[in-house]
Order: sequence, then C-alpha cells, then structure tokens
Amino acid sequence: MPMRGSISLVTLIGALCATLNGVRALDETKYPDWKGQWVRANSAEAAAWDARKPRGLGQQPPLTPEFQAIFEANLRQLAAGAKSSDPTARCIPAAMPRVMMAIHPMEIVIMPDTTYVMVETSSTLRRIFTDGRAWPKEREPSYAGFSIGQWEDTDRDGRFDTLAIETRWIKGPHSYDDSGIPLHSDEQAIIKERISLDRSDPRLLHNEITTFDNALSKPWTVTQSYRRAAGARPTWTERICSDDGLAIRIGEEEYALGADGLLMPVRKGQPRPDLRYFNQQTQN
Amino acid sequence: MQGRVLMGVVGLTLAVLALAIDGGAALDATQYPDWKGQWMRLGSGQGAPWDPAKPWGAGQQAPLTPDYQALFEANLRDQAAGGQGSDPSFRCIPTGMPRVMIAVQPMEIVITPDATYVMLELFSTLRRIFTDGRDWPKEIEPSFAGYSIGKWEDTDGDGRFDTLVAETRAIKGPHSYDSSGIPFHEDGRAIIRERISSDKTNPNVLHNEITSIDSALTRPWAVKRSYRRVPVKEPIWSEYVCSENNRHVQIGSENYVIGADGLLMPTRRNQSPPDLRHFQ
Repeated sequence: MPMRGSISLVTLIGALCATLNGVRALDETKYPDWKGQWVRANSAEAAAWDARKPRGLGQQPPLTPEFQAIFEANLRQLAAGAKSSDPTARCIPAAMPRVMMAIHPMEIVIMPDTTYVMVETSSTLRRIFTDGRAWPKEREPSYAGFSIGQWEDTDRDGRFDTLAIETRWIKGPHSYDDSGIPLHSDEQAIIKERISLDRSDPRLLHNEITTFDNALSKPWTVTQSYRRAAGARPTWTERICSDDGLAIRIGEEEYALGADGLLMPVRKGQPRPDLRYFNQQTQN
Repeated sequence: MQGRVLMGVVGLTLAVLALAIDGGAALDATQYPDWKGQWMRLGSGQGAPWDPAKPWGAGQQAPLTPDYQALFEANLRDQAAGGQGSDPSFRCIPTGMPRVMIAVQPMEIVITPDATYVMLELFSTLRRIFTDGRDWPKEIEPSFAGYSIGKWEDTDGDGRFDTLVAETRAIKGPHSYDSSGIPFHEDGRAIIRERISSDKTNPNVLHNEITSIDSALTRPWAVKRSYRRVPVKEPIWSEYVCSENNRHVQIGSENYVIGADGLLMPTRRNQSPPDLRHFQ
C-alpha cells in the first residue's frame, strides 16, 4: 500500500513537471498573460493620438509656439488635400510612439530577456530589453527606437503585472498621428510607457505613454488601450506599404498612383509633373 | 526504508521543478534547442545565390521547366542590359519566402511552445511558424512570408527537440529565389519545406535544408543554407526600411527613377515619359 501511494505521488509530480516543462507554465507563474492579438480599443475612424479628444487641434498638444505653428501649417496642407506632413503616405514607418496606437493588430511575446512587440503597422518590430542592460553610449536612430524595460510587481502578488519601458533614439520625421502633430526634428524624444492589464478585464490592456520632446512645453501623457481579439488562432496580415501603391513625390509636388497604375493628381488643377529629362517628342 | 525512498524522490523532483521554473533559459535548455542570438548567413558568395554551393545566375542550374527557363534567360538578358529583370525587390516589394531565408541581413529566432518566430531584418519580415498542432486553414490570404506550420523533432532521441520541420504555403508573388531572378510559377502554389537544426559539432552554426516544390520546376529543388551565430552578448539590430531611400518608381508598366533634384528620370535611352491622361 505505501508503495502504491509513492507511485501515485511520483505520477502526480511527473504530471506537474510535464505542465511546467514549457514556456507557458513559466509565463503563468512569473509573467502576465498578454498572449493573442491586440487591437486598439477605441474604434473611431479617424485615429487621434489621444482617443479621448477630437482629432487635429482638438488634441490640444502642449506644443511650443514654434511647433504649434508647424502643426497648424500641416493641418492647412491636409485640408488642401496634401499629405506631405504625414511621412507614412510615402511608406515611411509610423515610428514610436505613433505605432503604439495599434491601428492594426499587435502581438506581444514575453521572453525573460526581451519582450517583443510586433505591430502590423509598418511591419514594426520592437525589442524591449529586460535583461538588465545599461543604456549604450550611442545607437543609430531607428523608427522603433531602442527600448529598455523593467518588469514590476505593483500589487506584490509574486507575479509581474506592469512593464515599464523607456525608448530613445527614435528616427524622424515622425508625428503623433495622421493630423501631423510634430515631434522635434532633433530626434531627442524620449518615450516612457507603462503597460498593464485592466484590473477587472483581462482582455483589455492599457499603455500609459508619456512623451518628452523639445517640441513640447511639458511632457504629454496619453493612455492607449488595446482589446484582445477573441479566438485562439487569430489571423495575422502582412501590411506592405510599397505593395499598396504610394504617394509619389516629383519635385515639390506629391502625386498618387491610380488603380490603373497611372499618375494621378491629388488636388484639382494640380500641374503636370516636370518631365524635362524625357525626350519631349515622345511626351504625351 | 520506503519512506526514505519516497522522500528522496520528492526532494529530487522538487529540485528539478525549481530549476525548471527558475527562468526561460533553464526551460529552453530542457526542451528546445538554444537558437538565441543573432544569426547571419554563412558563406558570402557573389550576389548571394540561392544555392550557396553553386555560382550565381545560370550556374545555379535551377531545375526549371522549359517555359520558365526561357523566362529566366530573358530576365538575365534584361539584367545584363541594365534592367531589373524579374526581381521586384528594387521596387521595395519584399523578397518573400524562401529567398528571405538567405539571411543577407541578420535574423533572430524566438521559440515558444505555440509558435517559432523568425524575425528577419530584410524587409522587416516576420515569419510565424505555428507549432500548436493546428491544421491548414481552408483559405489563406497569400503573403510574402507565407503561412507556416511546423513540428519539432527529437531526431537523436536525447529527450530534447533538435530539428524544426516547417512547411510554408500561400506565398504571395511575384518572387524569385535570388537576385538573379530565378522565377517561381505565377500560380502562387509553391510549397516550401524546411528542416532547421544545429550543426552536430558546432552549436553556433545552424543548417536549413530548404526544398521548394513549385509548378515552374521539373522536380523539387533542395538546397542547404547555413547561418552562424554572431558571438556577442548584445547584438546590434538595425531597421531595414526600403521605401526610405528608394529612388525607383513604377508608373503603369514602366520603371523610372527620381533624380537627385527630385525630378522623374528615364531608366533607359528613349524611354517614353509616363502617361499623364489623368491631368488636365
């Protein structure tokens, strides 16, 4: 009888071992469950950086007077039909922090040394290093920036619940959203994030994002929220900007490519492109 | 005596358990191979040919059908004349599968039980190889990375997976094997099978046996590619944004370039200017 008891115990412990013998078990005991597909919770058509405020001037970004003037000029350009202030129209990535609006689906993969944030927008891959490294002296700026993170157990239940991140070396040009709220061109912006699950709804993730930038008169804090897609096996899509047709800049003018692949004006009465390098006899 | 044996078993098991819970590294070390870090292609043949054992271009001896061999040769002639041939990557169209697995830019592999992520700097390509036991979906939207299902194998029976066997379908075209423009069939039905495993003697070398099954081929085409691990603790990752400095534009069926002064320029002598029928 005691032998049977010991066999049962060994079997039980064996089963326990099998459960723990995978990353899933590790995540469940030490890290939060952020698996799956996340998309921004606010589904308003015009995605504004601060989802609680109207797009454009209604965002009331704390810009310095100089950058407020640039923002207003961008808005005037947009109203006239051009998208010059929004580099994503030319397939330049949305960059940090704008990409964290998660207009397109996002996946977060947590590993002990790095948390990977993969956003479909601009095929962005963010590596958030949580291996305790120090800031390097220099890094080549990139649209995703260079991020170091730290896990926090804010409710002291023995399990991490919040990822605090700082991102530096973000490449420009970039804006907060498609209304063209600018970041400073000096590429000195620092973005601090605090990502955590909603306290009552595990399908909701919040990201408190604070931007420190020389185009701002004070740090600007906005909370982005993401909803976890239902279904265990979500569909992931590739978004290849250059495959979709893009704005083409010729000289000082911006043009579009039509469905027939031909050059189209983007505003009424727009002049034809300057084709001085072509043999004028063959020009139509 | 039985009690002592039982306590010994429990003690040993709990020690193993504690070790397993202690971190991802310990966990990976028990079940999955250690493929962490930054990988770069091994062998830097001129022009990065698809089969690294053979010369670039016609020297690859791709087992193409006569139709596709003719297309390939026409493409080589176009390239020799200064054209782009049938390689669409100059327009910032991703190189796609399987070409991206040449890894001309660095690659990272992240293993989780449900999926292995292959992150390639080239064209910011993200491959998800699902290892959660799923079946092929009935319909898959084609993508340049394709849709991949994988299975782990423990080929030497030592209790630890050593080989990832992956199959990739629904690959979006146009695509070619390498920059010489060896074409895939336009039917988009190519299937790519891979066997990725560590070198038996050097853990810093990874091998990938890649077999392409495609209607443009007379038989499956298998090549062996290898990668070496960059020996630094904190490798530098870069971003590859093709559109950033790309001067090539396609308007209608013609390719042009944007010159240093921002104006449109022809790419060959006597090239017609773009059709401006949509302008007043």
